[in-house]
Amino acid sequence: METWRQITTWGAPPEFNMGLDGALLEDVDAPPTLRFYTWTPAALSLGYFQRFDDVPAASDAFVVVRRVTGGGAIHHANELTFSITASAKHSLFQGPIPRSYERIHELIAQALSRFGCDPAMRGDSELSSDISDTGMCFHHSTSLDLAWGGRKGVGSAQRRRKERVLHHGSIKLGPSQYDTGVAELEGSTDPAELARVIAEVFRESAKIQLTAGVPSPSERESAALLGQKSLDPDFIKRR
Amino acid sequence: MRPDDRQYLPSHEWVKIDAQIATIGITDFAVNELCSGNEGDLVYCDLPELGRLVGAGETFGEIESVKAVSDLNSPVAGEIIEVNPEIEDHLEILSDDPWNRGWLIKIKVSGESSTSLVDLAAYEELVAEKE
Repeated sequence: METWRQITTWGAPPEFNMGLDGALLEDVDAPPTLRFYTWTPAALSLGYFQRFDDVPAASDAFVVVRRVTGGGAIHHANELTFSITASAKHSLFQGPIPRSYERIHELIAQALSRFGCDPAMRGDSELSSDISDTGMCFHHSTSLDLAWGGRKGVGSAQRRRKERVLHHGSIKLGPSQYDTGVAELEGSTDPAELARVIAEVFRESAKIQLTAGVPSPSERESAALLGQKSLDPDFIKRR
Repeated sequence: MRPDDRQYLPSHEWVKIDAQIATIGITDFAVNELCSGNEGDLVYCDLPELGRLVGAGETFGEIESVKAVSDLNSPVAGEIIEVNPEIEDHLEILSDDPWNRGWLIKIKVSGESSTSLVDLAAYEELVAEKE
């Protein structure tokens, strides 16, 4: 059984959320970490390479940040966000990138199925949540994306450095004004309850024991700098 | 068949140096790691501006595949003097011919090379461990 750090931060500002994930990616000596978090205020995050003008919601959202991970934009409202940061040599991340998504999605699917839905990777099926020209992650699915009820239910993206990988995931717990028509967990699922079940699945299926922790002083320092960058208008509109 | 006229980084970049000009690309193994044979998954490659200085082992660009952004690392130190103009609009070249048409940048070498560079035999061993 491996031991990982779990960092949980409910209702943190968007720049803190992005900054801390960036810090966990950059610190090659940091322990493998599973983060669970929510956003206050709700914010829209752009994928690293997205053009600002390709995401109509970006001109309308109250707060916009740019992630270091790829993929499309996500409106972080009524959702549980999680991040996994570990060595690029970890078994979750080794090998071709698509296999890495499969391993992580298998764990998340196990957790989601305990809430009464039937998530599976999309494969070749068509999703009603696929909508053209919004630039939103949940409106553009790939064969590896988790879906149920014919709709995409989990947004995923990664950043890969030489020694370390950051995986981002978003699970909708309620409606969002920009991520429309996507799968949500039924009922009024509490993000803390979903986080608890995901942690349980990591322990049972991935043999990863999570220990509650907090960012180190150097991680906080790095997070503050990187968080400001995620909000920087030059960075947000760099493309 | 991987060419033996160049050196390789463990992060799967290759470099071929001729008269202090280093031509740099990524290996077939790297391309497979990025997209598992589905070249349509390669969506964007950001290469540096001409004149930029890079250090050995430093990131010179980024590539996105399957919603994952990966760093591209320079095997040598020097000045970027050329980037492959075909790559950004034709990422399939990386799958079709990573060793020749799929070169990414050229650097005028002005310092030490990465100490992590290995020859083909050592690279083949490294890749075999991962396969």
